[in-house]
Amino acid sequence: MKRLATALTLLLILGLLVALPRITPYFYIFIGTQILIMGLFAASFNLVFGYTGMLSFGHAAFFGTGAYATALLLQGLQWPLLACLLVSFVAGTVLALAIGALCVRLDEVYFAMLTLAFGMMVYGVAHQWRSVTGGSDGISGFSVGTLGLGIDLTLGNPAVYYYVVLAIVVVAGAALYRICNSSFGLVLQAIRQNPERVAFCGLNIRTYRLAAFTIAGGFAGLAGGLMAPFLHVASPDLAHWTMSAEPVLMTILGGSGYFLGPFLGAAIFVLLETWITSITQAWMLFLGIILALMVIFFRRGVLGTALVAIRRRRSGTS
Amino acid sequence: MTSFSWKTALGTALAGAALVASSPALAEQPIKIGGIYLMSGSAATYGEFAKQGATLAIDEVNADGGVLGRQLELKLEDGQGKVAVAIQAARKLVYQDKVDLLMGIDSSGVAEGLVPVVPELGKPFMITHAATPAATGRLCNKYTFRDGTYVAQQMAGAAAVAADTDAAKWTTIGPDYAFGHQTWEYFSKYLKERNPDVQIMDDAAAFPKFGAEDFTPFISSVMAAKPDGVMISLWGGDLVNFVRQASKLGFFEQGFTNIYAVGAATEVLTALGEQMPEGQWLATRYWYDAWDTPMNKKFVADYKAAWGHPPSYNAEQAYMAIYAFKAAIEKAGSVDADKVIAALKGLTIPAPFGDMHFRAGDNQALIGPTIGLSGPMHESDGIRTLVQIRNFDGADVTPPVDPDCKM
Amino acid sequence: MNSFLLALLNSLDIGLLLFIIAVGLNIVFGVLGVINFAHGALYMLGAYLAYAGIVGLGLPFWVTLLLAPLVVALLAVAIDRGMLHFIYGREIADSLLLTFALLLILNESIRLIWGNGIHTVEPPWPLQGTIAMPGGLRYPSYSAFVLLVGLLTLLGLWLLFSRTRLGKIMRAAAQDPEMAQTLCINTRRVITATFAFGAWLAALGGVVAAPMRAIDPGMGDKIIIESFIVVVIGGLGSFPGALAGALVLGLIHGLGGRYLPQLDLILPFVGMALVLLVRPHGLMGARRV
Repeated sequence: MKRLATALTLLLILGLLVALPRITPYFYIFIGTQILIMGLFAASFNLVFGYTGMLSFGHAAFFGTGAYATALLLQGLQWPLLACLLVSFVAGTVLALAIGALCVRLDEVYFAMLTLAFGMMVYGVAHQWRSVTGGSDGISGFSVGTLGLGIDLTLGNPAVYYYVVLAIVVVAGAALYRICNSSFGLVLQAIRQNPERVAFCGLNIRTYRLAAFTIAGGFAGLAGGLMAPFLHVASPDLAHWTMSAEPVLMTILGGSGYFLGPFLGAAIFVLLETWITSITQAWMLFLGIILALMVIFFRRGVLGTALVAIRRRRSGTS
Repeated sequence: MTSFSWKTALGTALAGAALVASSPALAEQPIKIGGIYLMSGSAATYGEFAKQGATLAIDEVNADGGVLGRQLELKLEDGQGKVAVAIQAARKLVYQDKVDLLMGIDSSGVAEGLVPVVPELGKPFMITHAATPAATGRLCNKYTFRDGTYVAQQMAGAAAVAADTDAAKWTTIGPDYAFGHQTWEYFSKYLKERNPDVQIMDDAAAFPKFGAEDFTPFISSVMAAKPDGVMISLWGGDLVNFVRQASKLGFFEQGFTNIYAVGAATEVLTALGEQMPEGQWLATRYWYDAWDTPMNKKFVADYKAAWGHPPSYNAEQAYMAIYAFKAAIEKAGSVDADKVIAALKGLTIPAPFGDMHFRAGDNQALIGPTIGLSGPMHESDGIRTLVQIRNFDGADVTPPVDPDCKM
Repeated sequence: MNSFLLALLNSLDIGLLLFIIAVGLNIVFGVLGVINFAHGALYMLGAYLAYAGIVGLGLPFWVTLLLAPLVVALLAVAIDRGMLHFIYGREIADSLLLTFALLLILNESIRLIWGNGIHTVEPPWPLQGTIAMPGGLRYPSYSAFVLLVGLLTLLGLWLLFSRTRLGKIMRAAAQDPEMAQTLCINTRRVITATFAFGAWLAALGGVVAAPMRAIDPGMGDKIIIESFIVVVIGGLGSFPGALAGALVLGLIHGLGGRYLPQLDLILPFVGMALVLLVRPHGLMGARRV
C-alpha cells in the first residue's frame, strides 16, 4: 500500500513537472529549470552528507568546474550539449577524486574546513586565470547549439531547455537513487552511523567515503554543466563557498534522510528566494531565521517532519 | 468531501467581479522600467545614486503628464556585480514584473554577460554606466544602447591629458577584471599614438582583485617601479581604500602624475572629502560643475534640492536614460519594443552638457569625458573642486564603429 | 631590501590583527567544540559599532575600543542562551549549520541597520601619521599600534590561561567536560562565558581593524575565511597554534601579496591544504578525543 502511494505521488509530481510550462506563467519555466538543476546538485551533496555522514562545504568546486567545462566547450568547440555534459560529469568526478583523496582521511570539522579550503581554491583559480577562465568576468557569450544523438531541438528556447533539463535530471536522479539504495549505499549509511563497527567488519571505510565523494562530485559536475547554458555564463561565483552552502541549506530544508529531500528543499529554497526577493532585499535574513528554526526544531527537514507526522497519524498515536 | 456551497460560489463570483472592475483600463497602466544596479557591496553608492537620478527624471516626467498619458514606474533589482544574478534579475523583470524597458549595469564584466542575453528578452536596454567597449562593439545588438561614455572615449581624453604632461614612464593600478585591463590597454595605445617616446611599463602594472581590502602590496610595488605617471582605474570602495592607504605610504609625495579613469565620481569624492589630495587628474563622463547651460543648472539645482548633494555621473546618466526612453516612445507613438528601438536609433536629445546623439551604427552615445585637476575643497558641497577642466567633444574622441559590431 | 622590510612589517601587523580575530574562534572551538561560522560577523559588528560610536555619537576612539567589544559580548550571551544552547551536545554538523544561520542573520541585520555603502573611520589623532623607516619608506603609526595591541592580547591570553583560575577552568572544560562538571564547575556558565569571550575578541579585532579597512557589509565574509585558515594551519584548539597560523598567513599576504600578487587569492588555501596534508591537525594541534 505504501509503495503504491509513493509511486502514485512520484507519478503525480512527474506529471506536474511535465505540464509546468503549460499551466504556469512563463517566468516559472526559469524557476522550474533552476529548481531541477539545484535539486540534482543538492542530491549529489546529500550522497556525501545524508548517506555517508560527511559535511562538505566545498561541493560547489565540482559544480563550478562542470559549468566551466561545458561553457568552454560550447564557446570554443560548439560541441553538442550531451557531449559537453559528459565532459562536465567526468571533470567533476576527477576533481572530486583528487580532492577527496586528500580530505577523507580526516574527520568532521577538519573535513568541513578542508573541503571549504579546496572549494575556495577552485574559486581562486577560476578568478585569477584570466586567459583560460575569463577571470572574474567568467565565460559568456556562448550559445547552445545541438543536443546531440541526432535529436534536433531549439535549445535556445527556454521551454525546450526546461524539458531537456527535466529529462536529464530524471535520468541522473534515477541513477543516483539506484546508487544510494544499493548495497554500496547501505554500507555508506552504516559508515555514517558507526564507522568503527563497519571497520571491524573488515571494510575499508576510507575507500567507501572516497567513492561516495567522487560519485557525488561527478553528479555535481553534471548539474553545473546544465547550469551554464541556463545562466548563459560560467562565473567564479559558481565555485564560491556561498554556492557550496546552497545544497547544504536545501538538504537541511528538505530533509537529509530521504532521497527526494534535497529536491524538495531546492524547490522550497528557490521559490522562497523568488517570492521574498520581490518584497524585500533582506532575503538572507529570512533564510537565516528559517535555517535556524529548521536546525533547532525540525532537524529532519520538511519532508522528514511531514513523513513522521503522516506515519504517526496512520498508526493512531497522537 | 465537503458539499457544494452556494455561499462559497456567490462569494467567489462577487470577488471575481470586484477584481475585474478594479483593474485599471489598459491605457492608464504605468509604463514600467526595470533597473539592474549595484545595490550592495563596496560600490553600492553607485546604485543608490543611479536610483536617485532615475527617480528625479521619472518624478519630473510624471508631474508633466507622463509619457503618452501614462505614468512611469521604476522597479530596481540588485545585480550584486554578478553576471548570473543580473541575468536572473533581468528575466524576472521582463517575464514576471512585465517591464517595458530595461536600464542599468555598473560593472563591465556583468554587461559583457548580460548584453548577449538581451535579444532573447526582447526589450530595449540602456546601459548607463558599464564602460566595456564590447557592449557596443563585438557584442552589440539592436536592443542595447549606451548613454554614457565607454573606455575608448574616456582613455582618448586621458591620453590627451597625459601627453601634455612631462611624464614619460607610465604604469597602472586597476581592478582585475574587464574594466581594469581594457582601460590600460586603450590608454597605452592612445598615449603611444600621441607620443611615441613614452615608456609603457607593463611589467609594473598592478591589478588587485576588485573589492580587495588591502592595496598596500600593490601600492608598494608601483612605488618601487618608480614611474613618472600612474593611470588609476580603481573605482568605488576600492578607490576610497586606495587613496587612504596610499596617503599613509607616501604615494602622493613621490611626484607622480596621477590620472584617475573615473576618479571624479561624487560617490568616491564624498567618502574621501579632504583625503583626496589636490593635483590629481580626475576624469569622469559628466562633472556637475563643468557646464554652464540652463539645462545643467536646473538639473543640478533640482538634484541637490531632492537629494542633498550634487549629481554624480552615474546619476546623470540614469537621469538621461529616462529622457531618452521618453523621447523614443513619443517619437514611436508606442511602447512596443521594436518600435522604440527603431526610434532610439540615431536619436539626438538635449542633455545637461549639450546634445546627446546615439550613433546609428552601434547605438553608442557620442560623449566625451571631462577631465580636471583636483583643487581646493568646494565651499558648500563637501568635495574637491575640479580646476583646469577640459571637456572633450564626443565626436572627436569616439573611434569609428567597431567592425565586429553586426546588428 | 627596504621594501622587503616594509613587506615584513606589513606581514606582522596583518598577522597580529588576524591573531586577535582568529584566537577567539580557536578558544570557542577548544572549549565548546563548535566552529562559529558567525565569528566574522561579530568582528564586523565590532567595526560597525566603532563607526557608530565615533562618527555617529562622536565618542573618542578609545571609548569605543572599550565599549564596542562589551556590547558584542553581551549580544553573544543572548545568542548563546537563545539559540546555541539548543544544540550543544548534538552532532557537530548541527552547530556548523546553526552558526551559519546566525551568520546570515547577522550579516543581513547589519546591512539593514547601516545600509549597503562603505564607511570609513579615522585613526585616533595621535596615531594618524607615519613612522620614518630606513630607506625613505614610511610605516603607518596606526599599524604599529596594531602590533602593540596584538602583543598585549597575546600576553593577556597567556596569563589568563596559565595563571588565572578562570583560564584553568576553561582548559578543564575543554579537555573533559564531564569531569569538570563532577568537580562542581558550572559548565553551563563556562560555555556561555567562553562564547562571549570569543565574541569579545572578535569585536576587539573589529574595532582595531576599523581605521585600517573600509567598513562594508562584505568584511565579515572576508575575515571568516581568513580566520578558518589561521585556525586550521595553527591547529584547532591550540592557542599558540593560532599565533603560528596567524603569522604564517600574515607572511603569505604581506610577502606573497608584494612579490606574487597574481597568486594572492590562492596562496592562503594552498598553504592551508599543505599544512593539513603533512600535519592534519595543524602545526600545533593535538588530536581531540
